[in-house]
Amino acid sequence: MKKKLLSAVMTLALLASVVGCGSGSQSAAGALDQQGVSEIPATEATTETAETTEEAAPAAAIDLSEQVDLVFYVMGDAPQDEELVEEALNEKLLEKCNATVDMQFSTWTDFQQKYANEITSQGADLIYIANWLNYGQLASSGAFEELDDMLDTVAPELKALVGDSALGMCKVGGKIYAIPNTWPEYVSNGVKYREDLRAKYDLPVPDSLENLEAYLMGIKENEPNQPLLAVTTEESQGFKTAFDAAWALNFKYSWVNINGLDYGLTANYDTPTDVYDYWFSDDFVEDMKLMKKWADAGFWSKSALSDTNNSDAYKNGLCVAEIAGQNPNKQVTAIADFTNAGEGWESAYVAYGETNGVIYPGHATQNGTAVVRGCKNPERALYVIQTLLCDDEVNAILQYGIKGTHYDVVDGIYKNLQEEAGETPTFPYEGFNTWNMRNGDTKLPQATDVALQEMFDKYAKLGEKTKFPNVNIYDGFSENYEAYSAERSAVGNVMRQYLAPLQAGLVDDVDAAVEDFRTRVKDAGLDKCREEYTKQWVAYCEEYDYK
Amino acid sequence: MKTKYLSGISAICLILTLPFFDWIKLANLVALFSKMGVTMDMAANLYTGYNLYNLLSFVQYSGQGTLGLFAMVLLILVFATLYFNIAHIVRALLNDRNKAKAPNPHKASDLPLLAAAKTAFLFGIFTSAATIAFVLFANIKYKVAGFIPGASVFLILVISVAAYVFTKKLEKVERARYNEHGFAHEFKKNWVLFIMLVPTFVYFMINNYLPMLGVYFAFTSFNFRDGLWASPFTGFKNFEFLMKADLFRLTKNTILYNVVFIGVGNALQIIFAILVSKVTVKWFKKTSQTLMFMPYFVSFVILKVIVYNVFEYQYGLINNFVTQAGAERIDFYNTPSYWPFLITFFYLWKNIGYGMVVYLATIMGIDNEIYEAAKVDGAGELQQIRYITLPHIRPTFIILLLYALGSIMKGQFELFYQLIGNNGVLFNVSDIFDTYVYRITTTQPLSIGLGTAAGLYQSIFGFLIIVVVNFLVKKKNPEYALF
Amino acid sequence: MSNDKDFEISAPRKIKKSVGTKTFEGISYLLLTLGSIICVLPFIIIVSGSFTDNTTILTKGYSLLPRDFTFAAYQTIFKSPKDIIQAYKMNVYYTVVGTGLGLMMITLTGYVISRKEFKYRNTISFLIYFTSIFGGGMIPWYLMYANVLNLKGHTLAIWFPALMSPFLVILMRTFIVGAVPDAITESAKIDGAGHFTIFFRIVLPVLKPGLATVGLFLALGYWNDWYRSSMFSTNSSTWQLQFYLYDLLNATTAMKQMASNVSMKTADLPTESVKLAMAVVATGPVLLFYPFVQRFFVSGITVGAVKG
Repeated sequence: MKKKLLSAVMTLALLASVVGCGSGSQSAAGALDQQGVSEIPATEATTETAETTEEAAPAAAIDLSEQVDLVFYVMGDAPQDEELVEEALNEKLLEKCNATVDMQFSTWTDFQQKYANEITSQGADLIYIANWLNYGQLASSGAFEELDDMLDTVAPELKALVGDSALGMCKVGGKIYAIPNTWPEYVSNGVKYREDLRAKYDLPVPDSLENLEAYLMGIKENEPNQPLLAVTTEESQGFKTAFDAAWALNFKYSWVNINGLDYGLTANYDTPTDVYDYWFSDDFVEDMKLMKKWADAGFWSKSALSDTNNSDAYKNGLCVAEIAGQNPNKQVTAIADFTNAGEGWESAYVAYGETNGVIYPGHATQNGTAVVRGCKNPERALYVIQTLLCDDEVNAILQYGIKGTHYDVVDGIYKNLQEEAGETPTFPYEGFNTWNMRNGDTKLPQATDVALQEMFDKYAKLGEKTKFPNVNIYDGFSENYEAYSAERSAVGNVMRQYLAPLQAGLVDDVDAAVEDFRTRVKDAGLDKCREEYTKQWVAYCEEYDYK
Repeated sequence: MKTKYLSGISAICLILTLPFFDWIKLANLVALFSKMGVTMDMAANLYTGYNLYNLLSFVQYSGQGTLGLFAMVLLILVFATLYFNIAHIVRALLNDRNKAKAPNPHKASDLPLLAAAKTAFLFGIFTSAATIAFVLFANIKYKVAGFIPGASVFLILVISVAAYVFTKKLEKVERARYNEHGFAHEFKKNWVLFIMLVPTFVYFMINNYLPMLGVYFAFTSFNFRDGLWASPFTGFKNFEFLMKADLFRLTKNTILYNVVFIGVGNALQIIFAILVSKVTVKWFKKTSQTLMFMPYFVSFVILKVIVYNVFEYQYGLINNFVTQAGAERIDFYNTPSYWPFLITFFYLWKNIGYGMVVYLATIMGIDNEIYEAAKVDGAGELQQIRYITLPHIRPTFIILLLYALGSIMKGQFELFYQLIGNNGVLFNVSDIFDTYVYRITTTQPLSIGLGTAAGLYQSIFGFLIIVVVNFLVKKKNPEYALF
Repeated sequence: MSNDKDFEISAPRKIKKSVGTKTFEGISYLLLTLGSIICVLPFIIIVSGSFTDNTTILTKGYSLLPRDFTFAAYQTIFKSPKDIIQAYKMNVYYTVVGTGLGLMMITLTGYVISRKEFKYRNTISFLIYFTSIFGGGMIPWYLMYANVLNLKGHTLAIWFPALMSPFLVILMRTFIVGAVPDAITESAKIDGAGHFTIFFRIVLPVLKPGLATVGLFLALGYWNDWYRSSMFSTNSSTWQLQFYLYDLLNATTAMKQMASNVSMKTADLPTESVKLAMAVVATGPVLLFYPFVQRFFVSGITVGAVKG
């Protein structure tokens, strides 16, 4: 019985395999060859993009007949008077574009994750964009609607206001995906230090590595119990540095960007396409030795690598200088904090660019607005952006709330009425966090903005003297690392594990540690990252003619 | 004897599911490729016929993410069919022996074998039907008759359906003979129990099973243009970063910490639960229990700050004492050897009071009469614990242990991340799988696939462990098994 | 236990037993006191820190007693009492609804998968346990609620996702198996009792410690959660308490970081002391409530009483 069964099965199997193999597959290219096909007509693949352009084309004048309700996703927390201001805003918007806007807020908890979710789920129509929210990567991955054609047909006024050069900076892969704000600001990094202590002990202004060292040493000698720097790994999480102390090196180099390019590569501002190697240079070893010297001198805590809480250190006198992630805006805040503290402390600021000669304003993609892909009415959305940004009346409501209730203008300066009265403002300055809707022509200055503007003016003058006057080269670049993401991650990991202790000066033998770091980072796949990165960077510079 | 024919049919199905046969053939190549946007270069990697095993390579090389999820479902189905057919055949070969071994000749039915056969044929039907559905789906999608199901698909479908009907008939006869019942009867008998499960079913469907489709993202490279379900299929690319990592170290650290956490944690929880249960003064009992519960409320963010303040080099509490005593400062944050102990200590500190509750409740669930009887018999405290309390706790302990095993590759991210942070000096002893993955994913903020891939690795690891361990436990004592 | 040999040696031990018990109790008290102190110390630091001036914490570190006593942290948190009262209200709502429904569903499920006569109990146990190992990740989960069910901004999205957990179901099954001997349910069945009768009349009464445990875990989970508000709330009136507090802190730190990218005014908060005060504000009510649950853990039950 069993045998019979077995033989039956075998016969069947054989039969089946003959049937199967008879129709065995061959290479598709071979099959095409046999048919004599050498080229596949590539018409259908682009149907989708063709459709969208088709949609955009006939809209010569925008059709406002139907009311459209849009969701505008912005960062941060909602102001208390969200509904009140939204109502006032929508009243105007209905009148001018037959549209309403519902502001939705990310809150500051997990905001990066939620921002990505919002785009993935296509919950919003308008959205705040910024380079620190990965605008470049998002745009190239198709998160936003293309605005090129629509700008001409729907929003010529907006196009004129923003200007071609700023719009050009928002291009990703040759297409415009965002509308920048039009208020130029300088976020150039630098060193914030205690002017009162400097004057008291007659120390040099910390405007170079030597002077910074002398300044800190001087304070250490005079006040041995005073902690000097609050440096952590917080501001150094990318692919440039791994520990905040290394930011001080910006005094020494006139690199195209603060801390250079990624993966230990760098280029000078004047010759951005001449990419050179920093990690494998003698400069690097020398710099790391300096870091060790500083660490040994006690400039920062030996436990600094695990410390993540330094944001209040300067304000509370727990350090005498901050060197990472500081900009004019933070200096202005520090001045106000010190005034409030009333201890007679004084804060002063020196930008790295003042010493190394490279200074430039923020990039256009710093604060912008985009239309999320999947938005049902992209044209109307763009039209609303135009109204929000260009229409003075609407812009004022959006940015400052209701005049007379929330704010007033005295001598051309913004005054929050509730703050004046000692209450908590229910709609503070830029209460919707719409920094992307700053209109440079009409933006009302705050009282604190005077000091800020002074600094900006100074930097603007310095920026004029650079090779590319007042152009931020680097921040428009977005890397496409899809082809080497695994290597990239591994390099990042090696940086956390081996570069951070080096830059924090926590190693015994700098030369050996540098060698160790170099071998490990090479093993992680550094060369592959560098090769691709350089290619993309050079291509980017050529596209914008930064040569 | 008829069951023998069934296994024969199963064998045929098995052979047909092997990757010798084309299940799906491409036709109208030029039209199809032009609709898909496939170029001549890409065509070099493609074939004119595919089986379900390599169908995903077609998805990958032709860049058709839209077909990816469906193709993956087919792959899973075909593997399931393969598995169930083999299981059926093996069972058929062992059937006589099993029957002979059965303790009760009345129980020696063919029903388990028939159930296996039914499953095997059912999956044969599923797979072949799904393949036909896939072909229809793809053809409608591209508006070209570009895909044709192979002959073997129809063959399997017909054979499976016929065999299934036949099996059903055999089963009916067998059931009548042994007085056993199928699902319909079970439902009739226990329909109340089924009703009790309806909310649970809805909950797990919404909250867990439907979102589980997202496992597919581990194999794609997500972009917004194509969306979640049509992004390019990239095979195992998202797993590459795991290969780049020091997987051995990560796995070792994760498992060692977890083993210590589970082992020492449960032991201490049991000890303290017993201690609390033995205390007779009520206020003390309540107070100590409450106080030990409190660390649970201290978030890791706060714990980190306190720990940093205690262990810092220059101004830390401990180093203050140390220098006052005239000794050298201790550089905790640059000395890895301290941290396994510190991490373990803080884990235990935070979790003992919380975990203790389970054991306390178990002890309180023990019938007081048993203790009374033991006391009358003169059993001392330790004897009572040894012979009454511990045996009663055992099932709970084993279940908790088994439960924890499935997540042995996951765990305690907050604890490690907050206490250690980005301190690379300590990574050799403090890096666990989750912290590593977190570091990697922060460098690629838009990659959905990376995190999903890492999660899948952890899941499969845990799943294999738990299936094996549960099987062993079940063999020893089915009462203690998790499922 | 009841054979003669045991009985014989039990008599002379009687005096010894009390000595042994005393030593044992002494050790119990000692260890528990020690454990309690270790556990409560950091909490004292937190409470006193919450009353300490923020600058003092930063410059002088933590201490067991408050220095530079101030209510500043609490004033910051209760800046708008209306909001925090709303957050408390919502938290109570989520906790009560979630724990009530969840406990019911978990107990019913636990009962079903503990029934020996239920053929598919192992399959269902497996399917429930399986969800604790495999998951699709956060994004499909989010899309399920936000897009498919369209619950974004709805309170349902905040309490529904945490109704059950495989851990609690399995735990409940263990409690039921341990607390309810098969013999009792069998005899009840013979008497003609249906499943619901058995469940409510026989299982629930002896299950108090188990119910208390699982209920406690569920309630704590609800009380301490902030994540779902973060994900699904579109309006601050639906915020969970912990999210209200957590976001206050996050806003300050995030905005300070953000200020390196954008010119903006940053809120000024005494972050250190607020962090600690937050812990006190969120934990306080639970500690007040805990003794009520505790009574199920501090006195044993007698199954016999139910039997009779």
